[in-house]
Amino acid sequence: MTKKRRIIFISVWLLCAAALLIASLFAGGAQKNESIKETMRDAVLHGDNRISFFGIKDVNPAVISAFTVTGILLLVALLIRVFALPKFKTIPGKFQTAIEAAVGFFDNLAKGNSPHKNRFLGAYVFTAGTYICLGTLFELLGLQAVTTSGASISLPAPLADINGAIAMGVTSYLIILSGGIFGNGFKGFLSALKEFSLPISMSFRLFGALLSGLLVNELVYYYVGLSIALPVVVGVLFTAIHAIIQTYVLTMLTAVFYGEVSEKTEKPKKIRKDRRKEK
Amino acid sequence: MSLPLNIDLQQILLHMLNLVLLFGGLYLILYKPVKKFMDDRAKKYEEADAAAGEKLAKAEALLKEAGDKLANAEAEIAEKAERSRIAAEEKAESIIEDAKKAKKKMLDDAEDAAQREKNTMINDARKEIAELAVEAAKKVLSEKAGEKTDA
Repeated sequence: MTKKRRIIFISVWLLCAAALLIASLFAGGAQKNESIKETMRDAVLHGDNRISFFGIKDVNPAVISAFTVTGILLLVALLIRVFALPKFKTIPGKFQTAIEAAVGFFDNLAKGNSPHKNRFLGAYVFTAGTYICLGTLFELLGLQAVTTSGASISLPAPLADINGAIAMGVTSYLIILSGGIFGNGFKGFLSALKEFSLPISMSFRLFGALLSGLLVNELVYYYVGLSIALPVVVGVLFTAIHAIIQTYVLTMLTAVFYGEVSEKTEKPKKIRKDRRKEK
Repeated sequence: MSLPLNIDLQQILLHMLNLVLLFGGLYLILYKPVKKFMDDRAKKYEEADAAAGEKLAKAEALLKEAGDKLANAEAEIAEKAERSRIAAEEKAESIIEDAKKAKKKMLDDAEDAAQREKNTMINDARKEIAELAVEAAKKVLSEKAGEKTDA
């Protein structure tokens, strides 16, 4: 490209951008059907914008997001399984290293926090971690869906819905409970039951963290003046960072509690005998 | 019963179903095969490491054995050299002894020969002296007999 052509290209590009900026600011957007209060309340409660779930039931958009994320993840996993895994080498390439790093990270997390019983836990934290991280980042794709009222909405993160967060918290708690039962029997079950507040704290931690990001995004997107450049920063701050932090927090908590309740405790009688022997 | 925050049990169960589907799928399709691959590789490396360790131990044992053999050989060589030195010294002493004996024998023989010659010479001299004395006595007697005749 010659210098003259390059100048023409940059000029046209900048003119187009400026024209679109002015047009977007002064065109007067579509008439807003709901106030910011209603928008944010709907972001929390999902009472108004609902989507039909295969015609069976009207559900929150997060349910559709959840199944979409699962579908995408399983498809990608299948593609990796069919095309990439058979070509895995002893000395890994970049892609293989990334896959192995992800599996190895969650496997080591499980082994580190629950050294005695970790096979099932490793698989679970891998699933939960992948789901939370990629499910949160899924929001950035802005996939559109049509609500039952005919409006178009952008699909949110699955865990930005209280039902999704509760499901994740309760499932993690059930996994911890199962670890207690299989690792320690009735004692483990009781030990896990003692942490009855865990599903609530896990659920609301996830929900609160992801919702805060969602609300800030909603706020930013609601006002046209804030929707230029700023969403990029806000989106990265409140979505990408949340994705990583919440993935780490939930998987770490699950692994720690699982390790705690499934750890076999020594019988006190033996200790007494040992002490007597020492005396 | 209406729950606060639009909590819906049916949707919670749907989310849980979704999680279970994802868990099963990801475990079977991705996690298990990748982990198996990683475990197999780790096992392979461990085996290779163990084999290398075994080989190293064998090599070290061989090296030690060779060192011991070398040390033994050196001791053996030193022992043999000592034995050879002693044998050589003994042989030299015996040669010297033989030479001394031969020398003594030669000296004795020479002495005997000289003595024998001396004795022979003395005997010869005695005989000659005796002959001369007899001759001289004969001459004296013949001269005395001539004088008596002349007279």
